[in-house]
Amino acid sequence: MSETHPNLVRIERTATSSDPPLSAEAVFDVLDLRVSYNGKAALQDVSLQVYRQNVTAFIGPSGCGKSTFIRCFNRMNDLIPGALVEGTVRYHDRDLYAPDVDAVEVRKRIGMVFQKPNPFPKSIYDNVAFGPRVLGMTGDLDERVEEALTRAALWDEVGGRLKESALSLSGGQQQRLCIARCLAVQPDVLLMDEPASALDPISTTRIEDLMHELKRDYTIVVVTHNMQQAARVADRTAFFSVDVDEGGHRTGVLVEYDLTEKIFTNPSDPRTEGYVTGRFG
Amino acid sequence: MRITFQQELADLEQSLQSEAGLVIRSLRGALSALRRQDVELAEEVVAFDDEVDRQYFAIQEGIQQLLARQTPVAADLRLVLAMLHVNLHLERAADYCVTIAKLVKLAQALEGDASLVEGLEEMGSRAEEMLEVALESFADRDLERAELLVDLDEMIDTANRRLVHDVLALGGKPELREWGLRMILVSRCLERIGDHAVDIGEQTAFLITGEFREFTDASHPDGSSAAR
Repeated sequence: MSETHPNLVRIERTATSSDPPLSAEAVFDVLDLRVSYNGKAALQDVSLQVYRQNVTAFIGPSGCGKSTFIRCFNRMNDLIPGALVEGTVRYHDRDLYAPDVDAVEVRKRIGMVFQKPNPFPKSIYDNVAFGPRVLGMTGDLDERVEEALTRAALWDEVGGRLKESALSLSGGQQQRLCIARCLAVQPDVLLMDEPASALDPISTTRIEDLMHELKRDYTIVVVTHNMQQAARVADRTAFFSVDVDEGGHRTGVLVEYDLTEKIFTNPSDPRTEGYVTGRFG
Repeated sequence: MRITFQQELADLEQSLQSEAGLVIRSLRGALSALRRQDVELAEEVVAFDDEVDRQYFAIQEGIQQLLARQTPVAADLRLVLAMLHVNLHLERAADYCVTIAKLVKLAQALEGDASLVEGLEEMGSRAEEMLEVALESFADRDLERAELLVDLDEMIDTANRRLVHDVLALGGKPELREWGLRMILVSRCLERIGDHAVDIGEQTAFLITGEFREFTDASHPDGSSAAR
């Protein structure tokens, strides 16, 4: 403008957002995934990519397979008898289900936080130090514990009483302790399965704020039945639904996966629209 | 199924339609006052604006409640946002009717020109038609009809430009010149009501497509788009 109209007062144009652009580097690349239990499909035809340093949320009604799906990312389904995972899950270009992949190593790189906080009945310190000890990680353990607790926004509350039992903490603190426990082994990805559904609103807010902080360094995948939580925390959202066949068998399917703002303002699929607006599901 | 919420949304949309009805009554009143040089009616139009304002605030309040309590998303969110805008556009349109009524009062003792008033009346019915098309296409979620507003607006704009020439052609008589200046403002008000109707049409388009888009872009009349 200023070249063509040199006499005009130049209007300073400011960016509308200070957020950095979303990464489009895939951490997980899922293709034609099918998960079945004892021969019956729980989830099928799922293909999507999870991007680095994004918060990706999976939403959908009960039984849509969202929890089944998140468990595929760190091979948790391996632990369930009769479970079969077909299709491919690539993690940084490696097949996560290749025979030579060590599931324990996978779970170190890809940590998981569950719905109910599950600290060990040990001290706060030992809970966080547990992973590094088991994995034989070298370096200053105290430093590692402090760093993990700081990153989990818990250090200020427990730094002075690390020897106390983890069970003495509130539910919200216990959940952040579980996050710290994951962080202590320096993972790449954090999987969270309904991480705040057992918490009160204030603790929930703290977990959500924490997710926002943590995505600067980690890739986060979260399953939530709280749609507003997905709307608040996630960069991208995948909506899963349930297909019911003639025999009444229910199978989870991926309906729509897009930027969260798209899902919650102008979803492409009428099933997503119906679910997020509460007209069904 | 969130029945209460859906009912509240439908009620709010109904209130918006009634508000539009009030605005159209106000516009008709202002134009009658102009034609008949009826100061009393002009004063009624000014006072009637309180009713529009009450409706405006009630809708505003309803939208605030819905946002706070129901956190609407997707099509529901777009409807709430569109209603927020349409509400404001209607309220502004009603304000222009008040301005016209005040101009009628200022001009009533002055010598005028009948054919020019006729031209303004024609613009007024055009503006009324535009409000009707805007609100009906909003209610029917009719994008094609909403886009007709651009052509209707062009007609009002042309009439507005022509009116300036007509006023200049009235000659140099001071009283007639003063009256003419008032009428230029009346014309401008009607033209602005048309613009608000177009803006309502844009809200209809947003409601249907989920995309913000100006039907016409005054800063880029050649069709090039503004940087978002």
